[in-house]
Amino acid sequence: MSNRKISISVSLVSTLLILGYYLVRLIPMFQQSDLNSGEVFRLAGIVIIASIALNIVGNILTMIVINIIHAIQTQSEKEVRMIEDERDKLIGLKGAQVSYIAFSLGVLIAMLTFVFGQPALVMFSLIIFFSLLAEIIGDLSQFYFDSRGS
Amino acid sequence: MEKRQVRNNIRTLRFHNGEMTQEQLAEKAGVTRQTIIAIEGGKYAPSLELAFKIALAFDVPIGEVFSYEVEGK
Repeated sequence: MSNRKISISVSLVSTLLILGYYLVRLIPMFQQSDLNSGEVFRLAGIVIIASIALNIVGNILTMIVINIIHAIQTQSEKEVRMIEDERDKLIGLKGAQVSYIAFSLGVLIAMLTFVFGQPALVMFSLIIFFSLLAEIIGDLSQFYFDSRGS
Repeated sequence: MEKRQVRNNIRTLRFHNGEMTQEQLAEKAGVTRQTIIAIEGGKYAPSLELAFKIALAFDVPIGEVFSYEVEGK
């Protein structure tokens, strides 16, 4: 598995964890029809901050683990070459494009719920949900592009 | 218009350059080994700059590394 794939996996797992946490907290609110703005905004804040923090910490830990494994395998102190070349950038851009399209569709669906009479909080919750889902779809598409070549 | 695709002789050139490894070529061209694998397998067409860098790594003209051939030939 390439370093790039490991990095994408870390991002994917962290986003899946955050999405899981978000849904576990949000679904009971929906079931009890107990959507209050304070709770929903607090949850959204936690999700956004956790998403940023987990990605940063995850990437740092991944780099450390990759370097340790590399040092053990090669028995040298030479650092792993973590370069991002033109193909990596292209795959990243394509992934971002897929993610952007998925998020746009999600926002459209969220807005439609508002148009059809749902409260604004439902729309807001759905936008947060689709932003996480779009990130997951973006990561998965990067996996696909990486194994396809570009 | 007939469909064409970029073909390459990287595998042969590596062989003629003392069995140069993909990792060594990647280091010389300043890319990852995965990119060299993708180019060699015809899955990825490199930019002009990278194509020149690869040719430079083998010390041959770019035309000896890459060709633009009709698909299926």
